[in-house]
Amino acid sequence: MATQKQRLKIGIVGLPNSGKTQLFNNLTGTYNVVANAILTTISHKKTTCEINNYLCEITDTPGIHELQSQTFEEASTRDYIFGDKPDVLIVCMDSNRLKQSLNLTLDLLELGIPIIIALNAIDETCRRGILLDTRKLLHFLRVPVIECIALSGQGMTELKEAIFQVKGIKWEFKYGSVIENGIDQIVQKLPPGMPNQRKIAGLLLLNDPYIIDFIKTFENITDENILEIQTCVNQTRKEFQGNIARMVNTRRSQWVDDIANEVILQQKITPHVFEKTFARLCRRPSTGIPILLFIIYLVYLGVVNCANVIAEWMDTTLWLPVQNLINTWVPAGFFNDFLIGDYGILSLGLANAFITVLPILSVFFLIYNTLEDIGYIPNLCVLTRRFFEKLGLSGESVMPLVLGFGCKTMATLTTKSLQSKRERYIAIYLIAFAIPCAAQMGLNISILGRMGLQAFLIAFSVLIVVEIIAGLILNFVLPFEEKGEFIQELPPIRFPTMKAVLVKTWYRMIWFLEEAVPVFIYAALALFILDKTGILMASKIFLSPIIQGWLGLPLEMVDALILCMARHEAAAGLIIKLISEGLLNFTQCIVAVVITTMFVPCFANIMAMIRELGTFRAIVMTVIINASSFVIAGCLNWALIYFYLGT
Amino acid sequence: MSIKREKEEYLEKLWGMKEDNTDDLNTLSSEMNHADHDRIMHELEMDNLIQINDAKVSLTDSGEDRARKIIRAHRLAEKLIFDALGGNYEAGACEFEHMVNSEMVDSICILLGHPRECPHGRPIPQGECCKRALKTAECAVIPLCEMMPQQSSRVAYINGQSNQARLNKIGTLQIRPGAMIKLEQKTPSFVIQCEGADIALDEKVAADIFVWKECTRNRRACFQEDIAAQEGICKQRSGFGFMKRWRGGKLPN
Repeated sequence: MATQKQRLKIGIVGLPNSGKTQLFNNLTGTYNVVANAILTTISHKKTTCEINNYLCEITDTPGIHELQSQTFEEASTRDYIFGDKPDVLIVCMDSNRLKQSLNLTLDLLELGIPIIIALNAIDETCRRGILLDTRKLLHFLRVPVIECIALSGQGMTELKEAIFQVKGIKWEFKYGSVIENGIDQIVQKLPPGMPNQRKIAGLLLLNDPYIIDFIKTFENITDENILEIQTCVNQTRKEFQGNIARMVNTRRSQWVDDIANEVILQQKITPHVFEKTFARLCRRPSTGIPILLFIIYLVYLGVVNCANVIAEWMDTTLWLPVQNLINTWVPAGFFNDFLIGDYGILSLGLANAFITVLPILSVFFLIYNTLEDIGYIPNLCVLTRRFFEKLGLSGESVMPLVLGFGCKTMATLTTKSLQSKRERYIAIYLIAFAIPCAAQMGLNISILGRMGLQAFLIAFSVLIVVEIIAGLILNFVLPFEEKGEFIQELPPIRFPTMKAVLVKTWYRMIWFLEEAVPVFIYAALALFILDKTGILMASKIFLSPIIQGWLGLPLEMVDALILCMARHEAAAGLIIKLISEGLLNFTQCIVAVVITTMFVPCFANIMAMIRELGTFRAIVMTVIINASSFVIAGCLNWALIYFYLGT
Repeated sequence: MSIKREKEEYLEKLWGMKEDNTDDLNTLSSEMNHADHDRIMHELEMDNLIQINDAKVSLTDSGEDRARKIIRAHRLAEKLIFDALGGNYEAGACEFEHMVNSEMVDSICILLGHPRECPHGRPIPQGECCKRALKTAECAVIPLCEMMPQQSSRVAYINGQSNQARLNKIGTLQIRPGAMIKLEQKTPSFVIQCEGADIALDEKVAADIFVWKECTRNRRACFQEDIAAQEGICKQRSGFGFMKRWRGGKLPN
């Protein structure tokens, strides 16, 4: 029974890819996507749950390295800590990266918020031949340190108990007289009600680009106040006569080193870890490219030989009997059409989602999630960086593009961290254009697999070439800007656990069904109405020069393109149906896949584009993408006809 | 009493003012705040090191030459003290600049691998040795991009102090003077291992990170040019089966 006490606000913070979301899932019993990759969580997630009979509000945050922020996500985590004033902070420490974690912990200790340290992934550290003396760590930091392995849920009971016993300790870390004086003076200038004044003053001195915005959000703050604060900051900087940031960092790293030296016990000989070797092989071009190709081939085999077979089996054993049954009960006519006609809500809606799309997606996601948990995908950015550089993208934007192969919407949102506007524009365009997201990829492979490996290779090389040309054109057209630099932390390669992969696949399926099934049914209904009112036929006749003449596709593809606007997966289902009816041949199939991949990015992606670019630019971009997709698909059609049929 | 030292301080200040784009006489007098201000200024003008027009003051060509040497000595000293010893560089460097001759300054410069910026982020004027771009064996630091894959070393310093955002980013990843790093690979991107994390970098960043040469543990001597000479010493062999034997045995010419 939950007591009526005030709910306890708990925040989980930590380095990127340190397992915060896994910890969050363990504590709350909900599920959010966990992956062995950075930028998995890009917004706060808040859930209320009950821990040891107390009502707790737990917040999961995007990863940060320290309170001083460089990117928008980091600033948003800090704004949460400063603004929401959590009662307890759980610092998720990655024990492989103890020094980095300690640096962050020091920052948080200065705030005076009660802190619990969850020392995560200790099993991995042990395997690397490093032992952490937890008791010494406890002794130095004077806050509870809980060893845990979040992935298997070990240490959670201790963590839950610790939450209610923790007390706040205020740490005052001194930086020397000049800086301390400056901080004192700035603190006096800050509005009285503001929390964490000392820390904010420190951040002002360190020239944090986002802290001024945070101060401005406070009430009763005038421009004059801000000007006063600024002059005070400049004064202190002048007095110090040196690089304050460097001074502060040196002091802090000294502290971190002192603790780390005491806590870390390292064996002389580092055991060979298979994961490390694999990571090295993946990143080296001579071995990495074959591995990449091999993985793509494996995915292809998995989808074609496994998913397609399951889908067919489900079609014959599950769908055909139902169809027959309805045919006997409901005589041919309006209602029969409404249920199982070409645009019936059962045939095009439910069966399409459950029987055709779901098996393919589940097999594909099973493979994809395994790759994600291994941590393979972010490591690809080492291999692909030079390639993307040719497209005018610096290292920074490689990660969003690589993430685009997972979910385009999320990838578009992560472009927020890019400094250069030009790169952001190119990255968002390229993500929306010819990069297939995981779901699209799975379905494309399934469609093309029916036509053979050759079709798959042609379609994907066309998409790659299109992406390169688009990048080159954008690179040429947009005004030149200073390129950002490439400094990217890579997640370690890990052995995926079967359970985690299965759970993730399960949830991804559930989310897909929750989101997509209503859309599938509504889209089927809309098509049904358009068909019955005759608008569909009219538009087909109207569009026939483009569809039949230019693209060389059967008129039924108009349905697919309409469905595409609602959801890409629905269109894929229809294309599969067209193939099984023998309406699409080899070249048509390739053209159909290429156009549906490029045609209208999904609705969520457009919303993300609007958020990042503004409505006008996002719409212009969408229009350009659609127009070019028609042009390109047409050219492809004629090229294929020339090569295959002309000779 | 000789006021050589005060004069040098003035020249140093004037150089700094030139970098900040000010040439106001009042700024100089107020910031130096020296009792003998007029006498020093007079002597500097007599020596034809500075010229004064109304309220403006600037270095003459010969004054600039002198100032460059002093600044160079000062900033190199800061660099040496800060990077190598981690001490209070400001106080030490101020004494240092008046004592050393240019040969000594040059040898420090070579030792530090011709650094371009002092710990404050101000440029260090180039000396003869930098212009000749001597890369002699005495060079104690090398940029990360010149390390061999699989070598590890200790970071000496990081260039580009003016790019604070980048410096912070590198700093939060614990790549900072004194940290041990291991170079995993060089192409297509640099990957280093630092404090348990793998970090990918591009060439530009890698060229700005300098490591101590004597710290580099050479674990792959086999692949260096003087391969034949080191054949006997090479302990760690890499490769499978016949490749291993081939390396261990006699190398084809």
